Amino acid sequence: MALPAKVFTLSRNGHRMFGTSLRLCAAGKDIVTVPKGYVYVNNKELSMEINEITDRAATTMFLGELFRGFAVTLAHIFKEPATINYPFEKGPLSPRFRGEHALRRYPSGEERCIACKLCEAICPAQAITIEATTRSDGSRRTTRYDIDMTKCIYCGFCQEACPVDAIVEGPNFEFSTETHEELLYNKEKLLCNGDKWESEIASNLQADHLYR
Amino acid sequence: MAKYLGLDRLGKIFQIIRQSGGIKNAYMKLYRFDDLKVGTLVGTDKYGNRYYENPYYFYGRNRWVEYADHLNLEYDGSQIPADWYGWMHYKTDLPPIRDGSRPKYKWMADHSENLSGTKEQYMPYSTTPPKVQAWDPKKSK
Repeated sequence: MALPAKVFTLSRNGHRMFGTSLRLCAAGKDIVTVPKGYVYVNNKELSMEINEITDRAATTMFLGELFRGFAVTLAHIFKEPATINYPFEKGPLSPRFRGEHALRRYPSGEERCIACKLCEAICPAQAITIEATTRSDGSRRTTRYDIDMTKCIYCGFCQEACPVDAIVEGPNFEFSTETHEELLYNKEKLLCNGDKWESEIASNLQADHLYR
Repeated sequence: MAKYLGLDRLGKIFQIIRQSGGIKNAYMKLYRFDDLKVGTLVGTDKYGNRYYENPYYFYGRNRWVEYADHLNLEYDGSQIPADWYGWMHYKTDLPPIRDGSRPKYKWMADHSENLSGTKEQYMPYSTTPPKVQAWDPKKSK
Protein backbone atom coordinates (compact mmCIF):
# COMPACT_ATOMS: atom_id res chain seq x y z
CA MET A 1 0.00 0.00 0.00
CA ALA A 2 2.72 2.43 1.02
CA LEU A 3 4.76 2.06 -2.16
CA PRO A 4 1.90 2.58 -4.67
CA ALA A 5 0.80 5.63 -2.70
CA LYS A 6 4.36 6.92 -2.86
CA VAL A 7 4.53 6.38 -6.61
CA PHE A 8 1.19 8.09 -7.01
CA THR A 9 2.20 11.20 -5.08
CA LEU A 10 5.46 11.21 -7.00
CA SER A 11 3.66 11.22 -10.33
CA ARG A 12 1.04 13.73 -9.22
CA ASN A 13 3.50 16.16 -7.65
CA GLY A 14 6.46 15.30 -9.83
CA HIS A 15 6.56 18.69 -11.42
CA ARG A 16 6.98 20.26 -8.01
CA MET A 17 9.89 17.99 -7.14
CA PHE A 18 11.73 17.98 -10.43
CA GLY A 19 10.68 21.22 -12.08
CA THR A 20 13.42 23.59 -11.02
CA SER A 21 11.93 26.63 -12.69
CA LEU A 22 8.63 26.15 -10.90
CA ARG A 23 10.41 25.73 -7.60
CA LEU A 24 12.40 28.86 -8.20
CA CYS A 25 9.25 30.75 -8.94
CA ALA A 26 7.70 29.62 -5.72
CA ALA A 27 10.82 30.39 -3.70
CA GLY A 28 11.50 33.77 -5.26
CA LYS A 29 10.98 36.94 -3.33
CA ASP A 30 8.27 39.45 -4.16
CA ILE A 31 9.62 42.57 -5.84
CA VAL A 32 7.51 44.93 -3.72
CA THR A 33 6.29 44.50 -0.17
CA VAL A 34 2.82 42.97 -0.10
CA PRO A 35 0.36 43.75 2.68
CA LYS A 36 -0.74 40.85 4.82
CA GLY A 37 -3.63 38.85 3.37
CA TYR A 38 -2.73 39.66 -0.25
CA VAL A 39 -0.95 37.47 -2.77
CA TYR A 40 1.63 38.85 -5.15
CA VAL A 41 1.03 37.36 -8.60
CA ASN A 42 3.58 39.13 -10.80
CA ASN A 43 7.14 38.05 -11.59
CA LYS A 44 9.22 37.32 -8.55
CA GLU A 45 12.73 38.47 -7.94
CA LEU A 46 15.18 35.73 -8.88
CA SER A 47 17.46 34.52 -6.13
CA MET A 48 21.12 35.36 -6.68
CA GLU A 49 22.48 32.64 -4.36
CA ILE A 50 25.25 30.71 -6.11
CA ASN A 51 23.49 27.32 -5.91
CA GLU A 52 20.27 28.78 -7.33
CA ILE A 53 22.17 30.35 -10.23
CA THR A 54 23.88 26.98 -10.88
CA ASP A 55 20.48 25.23 -10.87
CA ARG A 56 19.06 27.68 -13.40
CA ALA A 57 22.13 27.35 -15.62
CA ALA A 58 21.88 23.54 -15.45
CA THR A 59 18.20 23.63 -16.48
CA THR A 60 19.11 25.68 -19.52
CA MET A 61 22.20 23.66 -20.41
CA PHE A 62 20.56 20.23 -20.18
CA LEU A 63 17.39 21.40 -22.05
CA GLY A 64 15.36 20.53 -18.95
CA GLU A 65 12.21 22.28 -20.10
CA LEU A 66 12.40 20.72 -23.56
CA PHE A 67 12.55 17.22 -22.09
CA ARG A 68 9.67 17.95 -19.76
CA GLY A 69 7.70 18.99 -22.81
CA PHE A 70 8.59 15.73 -24.55
CA ALA A 71 7.50 13.83 -21.47
CA VAL A 72 4.09 15.50 -21.58
CA THR A 73 3.77 14.57 -25.26
CA LEU A 74 4.76 10.98 -24.55
CA ALA A 75 2.26 10.75 -21.72
CA HIS A 76 -0.55 11.88 -24.02
CA ILE A 77 0.25 9.12 -26.53
CA PHE A 78 -0.82 6.55 -23.95
CA LYS A 79 -3.88 8.44 -22.77
CA GLU A 80 -7.38 7.45 -23.81
CA PRO A 81 -8.40 9.79 -26.65
CA ALA A 82 -11.10 12.33 -25.88
CA THR A 83 -12.53 12.13 -29.42
CA ILE A 84 -14.90 9.55 -30.91
CA ASN A 85 -13.99 7.39 -33.87
CA TYR A 86 -16.71 8.32 -36.40
CA PRO A 87 -18.21 6.47 -38.34
CA PHE A 88 -17.70 3.50 -36.02
CA GLU A 89 -18.76 5.41 -32.94
CA LYS A 90 -21.46 8.05 -32.98
CA GLY A 91 -22.36 10.87 -30.68
CA PRO A 92 -25.56 10.97 -28.63
CA LEU A 93 -28.64 12.39 -30.38
CA SER A 94 -31.99 13.64 -29.10
CA PRO A 95 -35.32 12.11 -30.21
CA ARG A 96 -36.23 15.69 -31.13
CA PHE A 97 -33.29 16.02 -33.49
CA ARG A 98 -34.34 17.73 -36.71
CA GLY A 99 -32.61 16.18 -39.68
CA GLU A 100 -33.60 15.07 -43.15
CA HIS A 101 -37.29 15.47 -44.00
CA ALA A 102 -39.62 12.56 -44.63
CA LEU A 103 -43.27 12.11 -45.56
CA ARG A 104 -44.93 9.45 -43.44
CA ARG A 105 -47.65 6.92 -44.17
CA TYR A 106 -50.51 5.46 -42.16
CA PRO A 107 -50.01 1.85 -41.04
CA SER A 108 -52.23 0.83 -43.96
CA GLY A 109 -49.67 2.28 -46.37
CA GLU A 110 -51.82 5.28 -47.34
CA GLU A 111 -49.84 8.52 -47.41
CA ARG A 112 -50.71 10.93 -44.61
CA CYS A 113 -50.35 14.25 -46.41
CA ILE A 114 -53.69 15.87 -47.21
CA ALA A 115 -52.24 18.91 -49.01
CA CYS A 116 -53.47 21.46 -46.44
CA LYS A 117 -50.38 23.54 -47.29
CA LEU A 118 -49.86 24.66 -43.67
CA CYS A 119 -46.21 23.68 -43.88
CA GLU A 120 -45.80 25.65 -47.09
CA ALA A 121 -47.42 28.67 -45.42
CA ILE A 122 -45.34 28.56 -42.23
CA CYS A 123 -41.99 27.79 -43.83
CA PRO A 124 -39.85 30.87 -43.05
CA ALA A 125 -37.38 30.01 -45.81
CA GLN A 126 -40.16 29.28 -48.33
CA ALA A 127 -38.46 26.02 -49.19
CA ILE A 128 -41.67 24.00 -49.67
CA THR A 129 -43.75 23.94 -52.88
CA ILE A 130 -47.05 22.07 -52.97
CA GLU A 131 -49.58 21.44 -55.72
CA ALA A 132 -52.72 19.47 -55.07
CA THR A 133 -55.54 17.79 -56.96
CA THR A 134 -58.43 15.53 -56.18
CA ARG A 135 -57.45 11.91 -56.61
CA SER A 136 -59.64 9.49 -58.53
CA ASP A 137 -61.14 8.17 -55.26
CA GLY A 138 -62.14 11.73 -54.33
CA SER A 139 -59.52 12.36 -51.63
CA ARG A 140 -57.35 15.46 -51.69
CA ARG A 141 -53.68 14.66 -52.28
CA THR A 142 -50.53 16.43 -53.38
CA THR A 143 -49.22 15.97 -56.88
CA ARG A 144 -46.14 18.00 -56.13
CA TYR A 145 -44.38 18.18 -52.77
CA ASP A 146 -40.96 19.69 -53.30
CA ILE A 147 -38.55 20.78 -50.59
CA ASP A 148 -35.42 22.66 -51.49
CA MET A 149 -33.13 21.26 -48.83
CA THR A 150 -30.59 23.98 -49.53
CA LYS A 151 -33.12 26.66 -48.62
CA CYS A 152 -34.37 24.79 -45.56
CA ILE A 153 -33.11 26.13 -42.24
CA TYR A 154 -34.23 23.03 -40.27
CA CYS A 155 -36.39 25.06 -37.88
CA GLY A 156 -38.98 22.29 -37.57
CA PHE A 157 -41.99 24.58 -38.09
CA CYS A 158 -43.30 22.31 -40.87
CA GLN A 159 -43.57 19.28 -38.59
CA GLU A 160 -45.18 21.44 -35.89
CA ALA A 161 -47.70 22.85 -38.35
CA CYS A 162 -48.66 19.48 -39.81
CA PRO A 163 -52.08 18.35 -38.47
CA VAL A 164 -51.60 14.70 -39.51
CA ASP A 165 -47.89 14.19 -38.66
CA ALA A 166 -47.16 13.69 -42.35
CA ILE A 167 -44.08 15.84 -42.82
CA VAL A 168 -41.48 15.19 -40.14
CA GLU A 169 -37.84 15.98 -39.80
CA GLY A 170 -36.31 12.56 -39.38
CA PRO A 171 -33.21 11.56 -37.43
CA ASN A 172 -30.92 11.25 -40.43
CA PHE A 173 -28.16 13.81 -40.87
CA GLU A 174 -25.93 11.81 -43.21
CA PHE A 175 -27.51 12.95 -46.49
CA SER A 176 -24.78 15.23 -47.80
CA THR A 177 -24.52 15.16 -51.59
CA GLU A 178 -21.96 15.93 -54.24
CA THR A 179 -24.21 18.22 -56.29
CA HIS A 180 -26.76 20.87 -55.48
CA GLU A 181 -29.60 19.36 -57.51
CA GLU A 182 -29.61 16.14 -55.47
CA LEU A 183 -30.87 18.22 -52.56
CA LEU A 184 -33.99 19.40 -54.42
CA TYR A 185 -36.26 16.74 -52.96
CA ASN A 186 -39.53 15.82 -54.61
CA LYS A 187 -42.49 13.88 -53.27
CA GLU A 188 -41.17 10.44 -54.26
CA LYS A 189 -37.89 11.04 -52.47
CA LEU A 190 -39.62 12.27 -49.32
CA LEU A 191 -42.03 9.30 -49.25
CA CYS A 192 -39.08 6.98 -49.84
CA ASN A 193 -37.30 8.57 -46.86
CA GLY A 194 -40.40 7.97 -44.79
CA ASP A 195 -40.50 4.28 -45.75
CA LYS A 196 -36.82 3.93 -44.94
CA TRP A 197 -36.84 5.70 -41.56
CA GLU A 198 -40.35 4.90 -40.26
CA SER A 199 -38.99 2.62 -37.53
CA GLU A 200 -36.87 5.41 -36.05
CA ILE A 201 -39.36 8.23 -36.72
CA ALA A 202 -42.14 6.34 -34.91
CA SER A 203 -39.79 5.59 -31.99
CA ASN A 204 -38.84 9.26 -31.72
CA LEU A 205 -42.50 10.36 -31.70
CA GLN A 206 -43.22 7.69 -29.08
CA ALA A 207 -40.30 8.90 -26.93
CA ASP A 208 -41.64 12.46 -27.07
CA HIS A 209 -45.38 11.73 -26.83
CA LEU A 210 -45.76 13.25 -23.33
CA TYR A 211 -44.62 16.64 -24.55
CA ARG A 212 -46.58 16.87 -27.79
CA MET B 1 1.94 -1.35 -8.61
CA ALA B 2 1.32 -2.69 -12.11
CA LYS B 3 -1.41 -0.13 -12.54
CA TYR B 4 0.90 2.80 -11.91
CA LEU B 5 3.46 1.53 -14.37
CA GLY B 6 0.79 0.94 -17.01
CA LEU B 7 1.35 -2.82 -17.10
CA ASP B 8 -2.40 -3.49 -16.97
CA ARG B 9 -2.69 -1.66 -20.29
CA LEU B 10 -0.09 -4.01 -21.72
CA GLY B 11 -2.17 -6.95 -20.51
CA LYS B 12 -5.21 -5.37 -22.12
CA ILE B 13 -3.45 -5.30 -25.50
CA PHE B 14 -2.90 -9.07 -25.32
CA GLN B 15 -6.51 -9.57 -24.27
CA ILE B 16 -7.72 -7.47 -27.23
CA ILE B 17 -5.51 -9.37 -29.69
CA ARG B 18 -6.74 -12.69 -28.29
CA GLN B 19 -10.38 -11.62 -28.61
CA SER B 20 -9.93 -10.31 -32.16
CA GLY B 21 -8.60 -13.73 -33.16
CA GLY B 22 -4.86 -13.57 -33.54
CA ILE B 23 -2.31 -11.00 -34.56
CA LYS B 24 -3.29 -10.98 -38.26
CA ASN B 25 -6.98 -10.45 -37.56
CA ALA B 26 -6.18 -7.78 -34.99
CA TYR B 27 -4.03 -6.01 -37.56
CA MET B 28 -6.83 -6.19 -40.14
CA LYS B 29 -9.26 -4.74 -37.59
CA LEU B 30 -6.88 -1.94 -36.78
CA TYR B 31 -6.44 -1.32 -40.50
CA ARG B 32 -10.17 -1.19 -41.21
CA PHE B 33 -11.50 0.48 -38.08
CA ASP B 34 -8.52 2.62 -36.98
CA ASP B 35 -9.00 1.31 -33.48
CA LEU B 36 -8.75 -1.91 -31.50
CA LYS B 37 -11.38 -2.48 -28.85
CA VAL B 38 -12.98 -5.36 -27.00
CA GLY B 39 -16.64 -5.53 -26.21
CA THR B 40 -19.70 -7.72 -26.09
CA LEU B 41 -21.55 -8.34 -29.34
CA VAL B 42 -24.99 -6.78 -28.86
CA GLY B 43 -26.42 -7.80 -32.19
CA THR B 44 -26.08 -8.02 -35.94
CA ASP B 45 -28.37 -6.30 -38.42
CA LYS B 46 -29.54 -7.90 -41.64
CA TYR B 47 -26.86 -6.11 -43.66
CA GLY B 48 -24.10 -7.83 -41.69
CA ASN B 49 -23.01 -4.90 -39.50
CA ARG B 50 -22.02 -5.96 -35.99
CA TYR B 51 -22.80 -3.80 -32.97
CA TYR B 52 -20.63 -3.89 -29.86
CA GLU B 53 -20.79 -2.37 -26.42
CA ASN B 54 -18.30 -2.04 -23.59
CA PRO B 55 -18.96 0.34 -20.69
CA TYR B 56 -15.23 0.35 -19.88
CA TYR B 57 -14.89 3.14 -22.46
CA PHE B 58 -16.43 6.53 -21.75
CA TYR B 59 -19.90 7.57 -22.92
CA GLY B 60 -19.71 8.23 -26.64
CA ARG B 61 -17.09 5.57 -27.21
CA ASN B 62 -18.82 2.72 -25.42
CA ARG B 63 -20.96 1.66 -28.39
CA TRP B 64 -19.54 1.01 -31.78
CA VAL B 65 -20.27 -0.72 -35.05
CA GLU B 66 -18.08 -2.91 -37.19
CA TYR B 67 -19.34 -2.60 -40.75
CA ALA B 68 -19.96 -5.78 -42.72
CA ASP B 69 -16.82 -7.58 -43.90
CA HIS B 70 -17.68 -7.47 -47.61
CA LEU B 71 -17.62 -3.66 -47.51
CA ASN B 72 -13.90 -3.66 -46.69
CA LEU B 73 -12.94 0.03 -46.75
CA GLU B 74 -16.16 1.17 -48.45
CA TYR B 75 -17.89 1.72 -45.12
CA ASP B 76 -19.95 4.83 -44.53
CA GLY B 77 -21.74 6.38 -41.58
CA SER B 78 -25.06 6.17 -43.44
CA GLN B 79 -24.94 2.36 -43.63
CA ILE B 80 -26.49 1.97 -40.18
CA PRO B 81 -30.18 1.07 -40.72
CA ALA B 82 -33.04 2.90 -39.00
CA ASP B 83 -33.61 -0.01 -36.59
CA TRP B 84 -30.19 0.34 -34.99
CA TYR B 85 -29.95 4.09 -35.41
CA GLY B 86 -31.48 4.92 -32.03
CA TRP B 87 -29.29 2.48 -30.13
CA MET B 88 -26.19 3.68 -31.94
CA HIS B 89 -26.97 7.29 -31.06
CA TYR B 90 -27.73 6.57 -27.37
CA LYS B 91 -31.44 7.42 -27.72
CA THR B 92 -32.40 4.05 -26.31
CA ASP B 93 -30.64 1.27 -24.45
CA LEU B 94 -32.83 -1.33 -26.14
CA PRO B 95 -31.37 -2.93 -29.24
CA PRO B 96 -34.13 -3.48 -31.84
CA ILE B 97 -34.33 -7.22 -31.12
CA ARG B 98 -35.53 -6.45 -27.57
CA ASP B 99 -37.55 -3.33 -28.45
CA GLY B 100 -41.12 -4.49 -29.09
CA SER B 101 -42.57 -1.02 -29.73
CA ARG B 102 -40.85 -0.52 -33.08
CA PRO B 103 -43.42 -0.73 -35.88
CA LYS B 104 -43.06 -3.29 -38.65
CA TYR B 105 -45.23 -2.58 -41.68
CA LYS B 106 -44.95 -4.39 -44.96
CA TRP B 107 -44.49 -1.10 -46.84
CA MET B 108 -41.35 -0.23 -44.91
CA ALA B 109 -38.40 -0.06 -47.27
CA ASP B 110 -34.94 -1.56 -47.00
CA HIS B 111 -32.17 0.67 -45.86
CA SER B 112 -29.87 2.21 -48.40
CA GLU B 113 -26.72 4.16 -47.77
CA ASN B 114 -26.14 7.69 -49.02
CA LEU B 115 -25.93 7.08 -52.76
CA SER B 116 -24.61 10.49 -53.75
CA GLY B 117 -21.87 10.21 -56.34
CA THR B 118 -22.98 6.79 -57.61
CA LYS B 119 -25.14 5.81 -60.57
CA GLU B 120 -28.18 5.23 -58.32
CA GLN B 121 -28.08 8.73 -56.88
CA TYR B 122 -31.34 10.66 -56.62
CA MET B 123 -31.99 13.18 -59.37
CA PRO B 124 -34.94 15.55 -58.99
CA TYR B 125 -37.78 15.34 -61.46
CA SER B 126 -41.23 16.85 -61.65
CA THR B 127 -44.06 14.79 -60.22
CA THR B 128 -46.71 16.81 -62.09
CA PRO B 129 -47.44 17.02 -65.83
CA PRO B 130 -46.18 20.29 -67.40
CA LYS B 131 -48.72 23.11 -67.32
CA VAL B 132 -47.80 24.44 -70.77
CA GLN B 133 -48.05 22.05 -73.72
CA ALA B 134 -45.75 22.98 -76.59
CA TRP B 135 -47.29 23.03 -80.05
CA ASP B 136 -45.91 20.30 -82.28
CA PRO B 137 -46.29 21.35 -85.98
CA LYS B 138 -45.80 17.81 -87.30
CA LYS B 139 -48.69 16.46 -85.31
CA SER B 140 -51.85 16.29 -87.43
CA LYS B 141 -54.89 17.78 -85.85
